[in-house]
Amino acid sequence: MTDKLNDKVAKKLNDKPNSKLLRLASVLTLAALALMVWSVLVPAPLPVMLAMSVGQVVGTAALGAYLWVVIRDVRGKGRTARASAAPPQGAPARHKDETP
Amino acid sequence: MHFDVFTIVALVSAAIAASILIWYLVARPALSRPVKLALLLGIGVFPIMTAGSGNYAGFAATKHRTFCGSCHVMTPYQMDVQDTDSKSLAAIHSRNQVFGDESCYTCHADYGMFGAISTKMAGMRHVYHYLLSYRNMPLATSRTDIHIRSEFRSEICKRCHTTTAPGWLSVPDHRGLRAELQSGEVTCLGSGCHGPAHPWSKVGRPGYDERGLPLEAP
Repeated sequence: MTDKLNDKVAKKLNDKPNSKLLRLASVLTLAALALMVWSVLVPAPLPVMLAMSVGQVVGTAALGAYLWVVIRDVRGKGRTARASAAPPQGAPARHKDETP
Repeated sequence: MHFDVFTIVALVSAAIAASILIWYLVARPALSRPVKLALLLGIGVFPIMTAGSGNYAGFAATKHRTFCGSCHVMTPYQMDVQDTDSKSLAAIHSRNQVFGDESCYTCHADYGMFGAISTKMAGMRHVYHYLLSYRNMPLATSRTDIHIRSEFRSEICKRCHTTTAPGWLSVPDHRGLRAELQSGEVTCLGSGCHGPAHPWSKVGRPGYDERGLPLEAP
């Protein structure tokens, strides 16, 4: 059940382009910041509790989305670098135990 | 609102983060390296600074008497301790600078390494009860219906009144009941001793006289 949900979330995140994900992260961060600033300016029970619960979750989700973009970016670059370094088609395959 | 270093850091870092993010959302620049770094500051570094200092400022705010008094059922307690003519134990202690504006927290917080955490957990229970049971309760009803969850422990009094100072020991009742006080058989706020810290809230309750003092056990 959890694996299915994780796969679903991962697939949704993978389908989104980086710019869209970063815009989403920006909006979420702005919402979290608004809650935190509200709690600092009006330190009453409701704003303080909202900032310390919802604000933290939303802010962490935004940071998570940003990190996801970074990881995807780094992975993509690594893949591109590997692809460009790969031997041309038809070249003799190297044995797995062979030292490069 | 209390302006301290943490409040200022929280507000300034939130303003910087918001400026970066609004610029990114409005200008929609290409995702170059400088833009990604700016977003790291706007989504990561500055919001984390806001959260850290904001949480600290929030925790500090929860210790203030005005915070406790912001639930309407606590307003009479807040009014009493602010009344310079009040003779209740709570008001007398609140006039002490050591207690000051944090007198509710000073007396009702748990002691020990995890005291602040357990006090905040208990505070969450208060909010839960307030939202579900006391939110619309009239003040007259709340005065007699709302009780302290567990008996006020003398250990809290003994943080300051150590029971070893000459002044404390010079009171004959203190000297005579010291062993019982140490063992927990007698409490500072018990019948025949100092009585409740908020005696006006006990008037009309069973077991208390018209001054809010506990009736002697038969």
